[in-house]
Amino acid sequence: MLKNVIITGVGGQGNVLASQILGRASVRAGLKVTIGETFGLSQRGGSVMSHIRISDKKNYGPLIPPNMADIILGLEPLETIRIAPEFGSDRCVYIVNSRPIYPLNAIAGEMEYPNTSWIRDVLSSSGGRLYWLDATQHAVELGGPIMLNMVMLGALCSIGGFAVNEEEIRGVIQDIFPETKLKANYSALEMGKRLIKEYAN
Amino acid sequence: MEQFQGELIDRVFDRGICVKCGACVGLCPYFRYFDGIVAVMDRCVAGTGRCVQVCPRAGYKSTAPQENATDGNGIGIYRSVFKARASVDTLHEGVQYGGVVTALLAYGIENSFFGGAIVTDREGALAPSGMLAESVTDIARCAGSRYSAAGSLAVFNKAIKDGKGNLAVVGLPCQMEALERMKHSIPDGAQRESAVSLRIGIFCTWALDYRMLKDFLRANGVTGAVKKYDIPPPPSEKFVVFTEQGRREFPLMEIRGLVQKGCSLCRDMTAEHADISIGTVEGEEQWNTVVLRTEKGEAFFEEALNKNIVEKAQLPDQNLNHLSTASRNKRKRGKNAELELSREG
Amino acid sequence: MNELFEIKGGDERLLQGNEAIARGALEAGVRFCAGYPGNPSSEILETLAEAAKELPIYAEWSINEKVALEAAAAASFAGLRAIVSMKQNGVNVVSDFLTNLTLSGTGGGLVLVTCDDPGGISSTNEEDARLFAKLSDVPLLEPATPQEALEMTKWAFELSERIKNIVILRSVSRLSHTRANVLLGSIPPYENRAFFDTKSPFHTFPVLTKHLGRHRKLDEAMAHYEGSSFSRYDGPERAEMLVISSGSSWNYAAEAVEILGLTERIGVLKLGMTWPLPVNILRRYLKYSERIFFVEELDPFVEEGVKALCAELASEVGIKEFYGRSSGHIPICGELSPSVILGVLGDIFSISWRAEEYRARMKSLLPQPSPPREFGFCPGCPHRGTYYAIKEALAWDGRNGFVSGDIGCYSMGIWPTGFSQVKSVHAMGSGVGLASGYGKLGQFGFDQPVITVCGDSTFFHAAITALINARFNNSDILLLVLDNSATAMTGFQPHPGTGSTAMGEKVEPVDIETVCRSLGVGVEVGDPYDMEHTAETIYRLMQEAGQRVLILKRKCALVQGRQGGFPYTMRVDQQKCLGEDCGCGRYCTRIFRCPGLIWDSSVKKARIDEVICVGCGICASACPSEAIIRQQKAPN
Repeated sequence: MLKNVIITGVGGQGNVLASQILGRASVRAGLKVTIGETFGLSQRGGSVMSHIRISDKKNYGPLIPPNMADIILGLEPLETIRIAPEFGSDRCVYIVNSRPIYPLNAIAGEMEYPNTSWIRDVLSSSGGRLYWLDATQHAVELGGPIMLNMVMLGALCSIGGFAVNEEEIRGVIQDIFPETKLKANYSALEMGKRLIKEYAN
Repeated sequence: MEQFQGELIDRVFDRGICVKCGACVGLCPYFRYFDGIVAVMDRCVAGTGRCVQVCPRAGYKSTAPQENATDGNGIGIYRSVFKARASVDTLHEGVQYGGVVTALLAYGIENSFFGGAIVTDREGALAPSGMLAESVTDIARCAGSRYSAAGSLAVFNKAIKDGKGNLAVVGLPCQMEALERMKHSIPDGAQRESAVSLRIGIFCTWALDYRMLKDFLRANGVTGAVKKYDIPPPPSEKFVVFTEQGRREFPLMEIRGLVQKGCSLCRDMTAEHADISIGTVEGEEQWNTVVLRTEKGEAFFEEALNKNIVEKAQLPDQNLNHLSTASRNKRKRGKNAELELSREG
Repeated sequence: MNELFEIKGGDERLLQGNEAIARGALEAGVRFCAGYPGNPSSEILETLAEAAKELPIYAEWSINEKVALEAAAAASFAGLRAIVSMKQNGVNVVSDFLTNLTLSGTGGGLVLVTCDDPGGISSTNEEDARLFAKLSDVPLLEPATPQEALEMTKWAFELSERIKNIVILRSVSRLSHTRANVLLGSIPPYENRAFFDTKSPFHTFPVLTKHLGRHRKLDEAMAHYEGSSFSRYDGPERAEMLVISSGSSWNYAAEAVEILGLTERIGVLKLGMTWPLPVNILRRYLKYSERIFFVEELDPFVEEGVKALCAELASEVGIKEFYGRSSGHIPICGELSPSVILGVLGDIFSISWRAEEYRARMKSLLPQPSPPREFGFCPGCPHRGTYYAIKEALAWDGRNGFVSGDIGCYSMGIWPTGFSQVKSVHAMGSGVGLASGYGKLGQFGFDQPVITVCGDSTFFHAAITALINARFNNSDILLLVLDNSATAMTGFQPHPGTGSTAMGEKVEPVDIETVCRSLGVGVEVGDPYDMEHTAETIYRLMQEAGQRVLILKRKCALVQGRQGGFPYTMRVDQQKCLGEDCGCGRYCTRIFRCPGLIWDSSVKKARIDEVICVGCGICASACPSEAIIRQQKAPN
């Protein structure tokens, strides 16, 4: 078994933490996991991408080869279509947060941020399966945009057939967060699960 | 059409002919008057630009629209010309020559003919700049000439933005022209026009580049803020500087090199777009030459006369002739300079 | 206790490459750890500093890399095991001491870790620091995975003690920032026996003898390595191609061969030590194939060494065909990836591997590339205010002035986020050194004002010497110290000005203002959030001669975010906002460019992105229409 997952987004969205939680949950589950983080000037609004490779046999290299991602967890729509041609495929599952974070050049009017419904259409027509979620909106309701990564992790482990289950994720959260933060994080996971369920129906 | 601001930059700033009138400043964040210059802060991309519409240099080809009608005497359209001076008890410290400008402003404010006056403040750590004088004390503080436009129309623009109206504006001929252009600027020309109650223009042969002047003074050992500048009427040929340390004189010839490049294009010595134009009188240090140009200007001056704020007398023919000649010469020089500039492309 | 510092081994943990290096050092019984922060190396010393709170070891953030190595070498001379970590640029800083140290030799195991940044993802340059190993005749180790990083680090100490010289362990971003399962070994018991044996001094004389000795040590290192298990070969004995790889890029080569189904046709050799090249191992595997393909980052380091060896051994190993950088198969610069290796092997072996149909579909769906995400200062970043003030001051000045930049977040002043005010950026402290030079050009007709900027950490690292140089030579220099109380770019490590050490010990901060005053240069302090006032101060200082320092103090926005946050809730008054009209021309979003302030194209007005805006409030003073409104947040 090998599951190649990419978490893509923008610096500050909690990408690295989400991939770490997923990684630790994999180790807890007795699996081999390798995470390649590309962040560079991550805290400064740049693109951030984590490659997470989960296997029951061996540790794979830190980078997923072209078009071999099984799941792309898009914390931001533009970042998702940016990498979809290189890493996606007909069998890729896209779980995408619908809320844009505008690049400075789009804010400045030098570039056009693509219409999000167009992004959604592109991903729907890509051949893969798409879950298009208003995750930021729900994260804000749960206490702030900072909860976004947890909502998305909740969604990730609810799509069925994923290598790591929610229990393992909860276990890691319990390990790394102080007692006071647990409830909010668990609720965020629940929210992600609910969004997937509602989306599927 | 090119970007409007770009046009202004190409035609005025890049050619170094900005005269620091301040008309383009304060409408937007793209221009700032600071320490004697108008600085271009950033490039604007707006499709319309008041900045270029109001600049007295950007459209220099059509300056002095009244000159043809008044070719006769070279000082523009007027109703009367005479000499005048402030009555003794209205004199304030720092006034220059007849003190008519200061007297008129103080009178106007005191009697609510206008709510405030756009004048030029004295220099401090930085160059002189415009200020909105709203009291007689303010007016007194600003008395005297700076030989510079000092970007004071920036303050006019700010006053409009702050919702002020009923303003007197004192300025050099370029600034009177800018006010004239503002009337026709889009979209708020009418509002700007209606905010002006009285335009007092100061005769001007040329203005100095403040930063060059500062460098010159520093090189000659004059540091710190200057209290007052003076160019006594001909034939003195002197430039006098008053500082904390005292009085310094320089030959006017040396100062001529510090004249702003944009001034050479100017064809208006007597502020033909003012309601009242005021200057010195050759050979008579206690008097001002006064040109009343409009009904409004005339009415206001009459009031001041009646209230004995100022007194008037006839201007000797010889003086009027000299003024006429000087004015025509400036017009000629301006035309030539313009031709030369257009050849430069 | 942090599970990373468990004495007893045997557990498997998810470790980052850098953490694995730190753990390897702990398992080797390291006592003295030093470094200077820099992506991608910072987590090594961070981890060791954390460990130092629980274990009887010492860790410090040194003032710069050279001092770090010197401090660590002292421990080594006293018989202790010591480690220093840095990014590739740090090795340049270290090099003067390094090339001498390698002559004198060392005592306790001493390991220098360099984390190179192929692609320059978070660097001002792209540099292969491996060349320093060759330059200074010391062994060079290149781990490929986090597990190997742990083991190789541990082994590096042994090797260093065996040959009595420093060993360089070289990581790259992709390994340093990779997390994977790592099986921990145990940490040995500690005993305190630091002692400098005055009978065996450490110096470089006689130079030739020491130089010769250095080469003997290399031979010994090679022999020792060849007996280790860090080389690996996968493939047949008779191969159509032999891939020789090292470091992280081995992963890509191994996987590419697997994906292309070439495991029976291509052999993949992984070298753990790449200087000196293990001649006997190479001699054996070179015979396996006539075609040699080099997969390494970044320069053709192994490639050139092996080619030279092949020339020497030609009669034994035969004539070879080489694939790599000089053949043009591998790009001369940039990071490698599975895609690059798949591309080369796919072409050579005529195997199609790309998802052509999917890619064609995506190409038709996405004919244009997505807009790039330009780098920008964080919302609330004081540097935005600083550069805005600089921009104003330079415009007011009007003499075509510019900024001589330095290394840190504020290097981004070369981009629109810093209003493109910075016109040169090179190395730590160099912006100030350059300014010191510009300040003497007046005699040659140079009349442009120059403002130089450096951060608080950079000030101590190397800018301070340049400032003293300016003072000594009476150069006209205006230095802005952008004091955000952090080494922000690399993750908020303490430095001499912060008042605490790597191990969390409280110390009296070295006050930049006092330091500057003691040099006899003019010093003022300002607040970059007060942009107008700061601009006026900068303008005023620009008109003065001599050495002037303006310290602009504001906490890094990320630090402030953690320490109580920001005071305002922002909104844009849609009535007042002029949008595209004359009087504005989208000034705030087009020029000011804060990610928290966005353009609503539906109504053609600016608006706050409440998910991004932190509430620093400085944009309010940039709006010409006073349409950006600050509202004090309700106290919690």
